[in-house]
Amino acid sequence: MNPLSNILSHASRIGVIARHAFTQLVRMKVFYFLAFFAAILIASNFFNLPQHFSPESEGVRILRNIKSWSLGAMTFFALVLSVVSTALLLPKDVEDRTLYTILAKPVPRLDYLAGKLLGVLLLVFVSLALMDLLMTGALYLRTNMVLAEQVSLAESRGWLAQDIALLKSEILSHGSTPSLQGAVFAVFLRAAIIASMALLISTFSSSTLFTTNITFLVYFIGHFQADALGVFLNSDPGMSDGIWARGASLLVALVLPNFDNFNVIDAVIEGQVMPLAILLKLTLVALFYFVFYVIASWFVFAKKEF
Amino acid sequence: MVLGIAILAMGAVRIPFEKGLVDDLRTADLLPPELDVKTTDRIGQTFFAVSLGGMRTLVATIWNLRAFTFFSDQKWADVAECYDLIVDLAPRTQYYWDTGSWHQAYNEASYYLYDSKLPSLRRKQAWKDAILNGRQFVERGIRNNPDDPVLLERLGYLLADSNKIAAFGDIGKSYEESYEAYMSAVALGNARALTTRFALYSLARVPGREKEALAMARKVRSEQNTNSVTLLSVLYTLSYHDDPTRPVDELIDSIFPSREAAYDALSGLWLRTRDRYPVHGVAQAITLLESDLKVPESDSVLKKKLPPGMSPEDYF
Repeated sequence: MNPLSNILSHASRIGVIARHAFTQLVRMKVFYFLAFFAAILIASNFFNLPQHFSPESEGVRILRNIKSWSLGAMTFFALVLSVVSTALLLPKDVEDRTLYTILAKPVPRLDYLAGKLLGVLLLVFVSLALMDLLMTGALYLRTNMVLAEQVSLAESRGWLAQDIALLKSEILSHGSTPSLQGAVFAVFLRAAIIASMALLISTFSSSTLFTTNITFLVYFIGHFQADALGVFLNSDPGMSDGIWARGASLLVALVLPNFDNFNVIDAVIEGQVMPLAILLKLTLVALFYFVFYVIASWFVFAKKEF
Repeated sequence: MVLGIAILAMGAVRIPFEKGLVDDLRTADLLPPELDVKTTDRIGQTFFAVSLGGMRTLVATIWNLRAFTFFSDQKWADVAECYDLIVDLAPRTQYYWDTGSWHQAYNEASYYLYDSKLPSLRRKQAWKDAILNGRQFVERGIRNNPDDPVLLERLGYLLADSNKIAAFGDIGKSYEESYEAYMSAVALGNARALTTRFALYSLARVPGREKEALAMARKVRSEQNTNSVTLLSVLYTLSYHDDPTRPVDELIDSIFPSREAAYDALSGLWLRTRDRYPVHGVAQAITLLESDLKVPESDSVLKKKLPPGMSPEDYF
């Protein structure tokens, strides 16, 4: 078999397993969460929650609310879906005995793991795409409404044309921008890293609960990887009482992924622009983690006896 | 064992790239500045903020609702604490800095103005502290958002606010600082045209800088092509200050679109004692205009009782 047909054969197997994993997860009625997302979106759009605002800040406040509630919910759902779905994969296949049937066939274990993980990622991607569609639609409609209201208010107050132009550009910067779509993609990238890490943990864990707990723990500690590295780099090596702290911080920095980099989402919600180059670098980092964790999972899984 | 070594090696490979990425993200203002590791007491708070990655602005929204409850209950210390946390979570959202400062400098300060349960000296101190805290809060917001003209405008407004200015001590200096804040906003290049006018109104009230203010007033009028009542009144009074020998009627006709408009504008300026605008030549202009427009002597604006200027001594 030539290398190309070999790759195609692997890809085809991975595709079949991914489709099966996706269908398996969809049958668990995971998309019901979209009803909650829609409710959150409606709440952020129309409920006049008690807080202070002036007529000028009201428009932008509503747009920011829609973005923060929507991206917050996306982050939460993507995190839960990626961790729980991945943690369920192997134990469920063992329980259903599907795993034995698959491994009895000429399916390489790497293909099995990659297929399962891609199934989860497909689920997360489709979920995020649907949520993004709802958010973008709501944001588009609301931005136009806010723009019309605010411009009419400014005109009635006799604002100069250049001030009205500034107002329009500020309102539009809080609408659906390319940076906002980039932020949604950053949510997906982070979910992909978490899912691949959960896969690695599940290859040696004894239960779904253990995998879920450890992955969530690593997720939270991973937000401090950059700080741990900062402690290691900035502390004085000559200080004897700092040796353990330096050692521990270096270990955390080396072992755990840096999730803090993906917190760009918060800055985008606040109206910052995310350059494409930054998004590409985040994608490269995520790809690096993904490939490493899949290979590491294969390394453990290959030696496992069933 | 092999897996452990592989994970450590992978860490060593990715750290330099990630460190560069962190620097890029900080340069693009997409990540907050590096945490000062010596201030370990801040790590507890920051843990909360950092670990909420992607949901920080959402939690800030919820805390903003909580702050409203504290405001309704007039728990001012809790309101301030809430906003300290909110701006930790969303340091780039101008609205939170603005609202946090406003709660302290306006709502809390007004509360102490009228709270009869406290002795007057303590009320006065609490009123002053609240205004100064509001100022500090918005100044912190400006340091965190150096490219935001709105927070600079808010600072300029607060420093020139007739109901707050007494808390800042030297009134002339406060108008000067207000002017500087407005001009810093203008210098950013993305402030509203109105901001330049506000800067002028503050400068016009700085003793000794009348000539500079006059030049600015002329420039603003020619550039913005506006007949704003305050702008025309300030232009009149500064022009009179510059050359008191110039005939008043000639000065009025050169500035105002009509004598009726001049009378409305200058009467308003005369009565706005709280705002402390200069009134050079205003009484002379009103006398001339009232005679010209045949306003009965009994209705003369100059005979009206002037509202008292805001002084903390009247309240405490």
